[in-house]
Amino acid sequence: MDTQGSELETSAPLSAAQTVLQQLKQAVKAQVIGRDEVIDLTLIALMADGHVLLEDFPGSGKTTLAKALGEAIIDDNKGPAAIAEQPPIVPFRRIQFTPDLLPSDVTGSSVFDANANTFHFRYGPLFAHVVLADEINRTSPKVQSAMLEAMGEKQVTVDNVTYKLDSLFFVIATQNPLDLVGTYPLPTPQLDRFLFKITMAHIDRDAELQVLDTWQQRRDHSQEAVKVSRSDILAARRSIDEQVHIAQAIKTALVDISRRLRDDERVLQGNSTRSLVLILPALQVLATLRGRAYVSAEDLETLLPHVLAHRVELAPGIADFNKVLRDCMREPMEQLARSTLKKATATTA
Amino acid sequence: MSHSAASPTGNNSARRVSNAHRLLRAFVLAGACWVLSTPLTTVAGSTAAFLGCLLACLWIDSRTGTAVFKLRSLALLAGLVILTALVSSVANLLTRQPFLAQWLGAMPAFQLGQLLFWLVLAASVGLLLRLYARRHSWGSVPELLFVTCAFVISLAAHQRGMIDRPYFIGDFALIRGMDPSNILMGVGVAAVLTLTVLLMLEGNQRRLPYHFSVLALVCLSLLLYVQTFGMPTPQMTDDLGLTGQGAGGGSQSENPFRDGDNDANDREAPVAIVLFRDDYEPENGAYYFRESAYSEFNGTLLWTAERDDLDVDLVEQFPASEVSVSEHIPAQDMRRSVTTTIGLLTPHRSPFGLEAPVRFEPAPNPNSLRFTQTYTVESLVPQFEFPDLIGRRAGSPDWTVAQWEQYLAMPDDPRYGEFAEHLVSNMREGFEDDPYAKALAVKAWLDDNGIYSLENQHAYATDPAASFLFGDVTGYCVHFAYAATYMYRSLGIPARVGIGYSVPADNRAGGSALLIQAIHGHAWPEIYLDGLGWVIVDPTPSRTLVDMSSEPQDSLQQMLADMLRDDASFQGFLEQQSQTSELPSFRQLLTALLIAAATLIILAWLVRLWRAQCPAWTPASDHYRVQFRAALDTLASVGVRRRRGESREAFARRYAAQFPALHQLTQWHLQQVPGYAWSPQGSLALAGKSVSGHAMSNADWNGLRRQLAAEISQAVPRWRRLLGTIHPAPWYYTH
Repeated sequence: MDTQGSELETSAPLSAAQTVLQQLKQAVKAQVIGRDEVIDLTLIALMADGHVLLEDFPGSGKTTLAKALGEAIIDDNKGPAAIAEQPPIVPFRRIQFTPDLLPSDVTGSSVFDANANTFHFRYGPLFAHVVLADEINRTSPKVQSAMLEAMGEKQVTVDNVTYKLDSLFFVIATQNPLDLVGTYPLPTPQLDRFLFKITMAHIDRDAELQVLDTWQQRRDHSQEAVKVSRSDILAARRSIDEQVHIAQAIKTALVDISRRLRDDERVLQGNSTRSLVLILPALQVLATLRGRAYVSAEDLETLLPHVLAHRVELAPGIADFNKVLRDCMREPMEQLARSTLKKATATTA
Repeated sequence: MSHSAASPTGNNSARRVSNAHRLLRAFVLAGACWVLSTPLTTVAGSTAAFLGCLLACLWIDSRTGTAVFKLRSLALLAGLVILTALVSSVANLLTRQPFLAQWLGAMPAFQLGQLLFWLVLAASVGLLLRLYARRHSWGSVPELLFVTCAFVISLAAHQRGMIDRPYFIGDFALIRGMDPSNILMGVGVAAVLTLTVLLMLEGNQRRLPYHFSVLALVCLSLLLYVQTFGMPTPQMTDDLGLTGQGAGGGSQSENPFRDGDNDANDREAPVAIVLFRDDYEPENGAYYFRESAYSEFNGTLLWTAERDDLDVDLVEQFPASEVSVSEHIPAQDMRRSVTTTIGLLTPHRSPFGLEAPVRFEPAPNPNSLRFTQTYTVESLVPQFEFPDLIGRRAGSPDWTVAQWEQYLAMPDDPRYGEFAEHLVSNMREGFEDDPYAKALAVKAWLDDNGIYSLENQHAYATDPAASFLFGDVTGYCVHFAYAATYMYRSLGIPARVGIGYSVPADNRAGGSALLIQAIHGHAWPEIYLDGLGWVIVDPTPSRTLVDMSSEPQDSLQQMLADMLRDDASFQGFLEQQSQTSELPSFRQLLTALLIAAATLIILAWLVRLWRAQCPAWTPASDHYRVQFRAALDTLASVGVRRRRGESREAFARRYAAQFPALHQLTQWHLQQVPGYAWSPQGSLALAGKSVSGHAMSNADWNGLRRQLAAEISQAVPRWRRLLGTIHPAPWYYTH
């Protein structure tokens, strides 16, 4: 792809966005080995302004991933707002969720300052670029809802005062798929807030060997990775949003697939319209990541399983969502593929 | 991702295919059981045989580790035999025991017995066949043989020229005015297909094209053979030297006594069909067809005359144009002209005709596959009354001395003369010197004292006729004919042995056709009477050791006659049949289907050609579509096809290793689809080079397609490409 000047002054060229994506990917890949798909999905969620839920075993590199992502971002927020009451944003925070955690432990709380004789707000760990919410299903629904409000609205409300979170605010939540005793599983509407639910498997043999071979090197050089500034990411977000084309046929296919999914007898509850809205930016980012300025059918193939798996409730006895989705996708995807060979008369309308 | 997703469905479909295979194989075996059991049992029994075999096959094929597999083959065989025997005795019990039969009723008891017995028998057979097929590599051979047997046995009647058999096919076809051979061909094709299917079920799917090509080759060579050499005709014994197949062989074949016995199986085989153009009923109850005669004594026995002055009334060669010998037939005012058309089913040395043939003429052959030779012959059949025959002189006054010598030559054995003189010694007053009366006396003695037998050939005696006459007087027509001829000659009556066919007059059954079968081959003595010519005086022994009667083959006779006639009336009959049946005939249907198929294939080809060539003249704005489509067609022809629901990119990725050009083609294509990669309004700035969709030139596209073709020739095996080039509709798979 050659770099070509943008006609629009408002957004940076798409190539710049691609560079940002590549740099972030490199920075994370330098630390996390054998998880390329997860890294891609995480980056897509970051750029598409969504959040991800990782289902994984302990010690599989979730923290490393989140930390590498957080540390690859430099905070260069030096606008006029910085002078005022600007919360101190750190690149990366990790919250370990436990049953006795309270909402204020997450959001922050007002503390009485005896010297000034006033309350002042102590910012919680949510005020960061990247937040790792570890074992989110272990905490009480109260904390979960506070967390989810922050994720949905990008703000926290403490003592009726609303504090804005950073616009880059990005949550990587995890839950252990096995130890379910004493947990509070997230209900489907809450799961809807996550753009992706990624189920990770163990990395393959070669990758695991490579992890052991390079762990010292990665430990010592973690600070030297490429950095991307916060404003670059926000600019990239905007240019992707404005410049990557989504064809009408793609939207048609999306709607058709979700309608089929809702009508399928193996499905109790289909996906929400919100999920379709959320997936559009994700599709755009993936297209950019693949070096395209348009969303194509293969992007749908890649993303739909990750976007829809946690939004659809299956009928009792049905276990394999991927099979259900494959069945529902077949016809709309076939129509989509065939549409490109048809004479281009109707598509202009 | 697509690969991991595809594998489970792939396995699934493989399992389903093997299920279908199992079912198909079970049906074929059960069908064979049914065919084999039908003639032996009732409907209930054959149905039970079908079901038993079907269930047994399905059951054993759905198992892998049942106890059955742990048994030794022999033990299992013995077990099944014992089981069958047990069930057989139970079935017997059902019918034999009065109280059971009374309780159930006679018919239900019998049906139940049949049902039980055949169910168990067929199940055992199916079980054994399948078990062996699964245990041993050669196991599928018995299976194939079993199915072949079913076909062969059900069609076994169709041999030795019995083209109207088996009756269930022959009658079905004849009633509808069809040639049964069409149906039989169909059955043959079905047999080949069934066996092929069975063979392929065992084998590897990838060898399928090879199996089919070998099969096609075999069928084609068979067709070629039939076209070149005609249908195989039954091998008749060369009795009496009629067929000429042994001609020119060693002395053994020139001895009519040594190859004269009929193979019992060949007796009924049809030899020729005779159409009577004139109504004629012989007075002595048999039609005589003379082909040749033995009249020249060669030192040991009578043989075909080599001299030109003997037997001038015989025609040796098949006529290429009209041949007439009427000048050699005397007493034409006492004869009647009868014209016949003869179709030979087996090759013969010389043409034959009713008693005194005078004119031979080739006739058009309506079915050269069936008839080896067809000709029309006009005969002057004698209508002599007894008074005409009495009081004649033997021989002809016109004969030369040499001719007289030849017709009276005989073995140097005084016993013939002595015995003949003894036979005619006590003739009635007035007939002592009458040659015909003397001949009748000799014939009467042979009639009374001769014993007809095929076993006693006297073949290794120096003079078999003497061995016969002065021995046990047991022999067959050749012996009688030679013995009688020698005795006639010893009495000074010129005589010869006529050979040909003699068919009972009843066989005509009132129709105008007469079927000559191998069993009708005959030899008889003839004497020459002045003014009348050759007169048959045929001894017919009253005592016989073999049953030489044959069933008249009326339907075969009628069918062959219809074939030979093939004239307007028969055609009219056929047309009338096809009109009244309203439905189009099988042949018409087949022709229509063939034409439709050919048209479809040609049309499909034209579409393919058009789609491959149309990029040359379509406007540039459409190249993204037609060029890509042409490339996909090329791929589809070699079996590279997008799966249903698969995106174009995933398809290209699936073949990225073999066809990198496909990936590039897909990219170009998608980038230029209006509204897909760019908005038609053009309001979007894109990072790619080809924003408008017209950036790629035709040369670019053609270059990439050439690259794709090169990749195909590298990655796809030659036979697959060859198949691809002749594929009429690869575009059917391109979407």
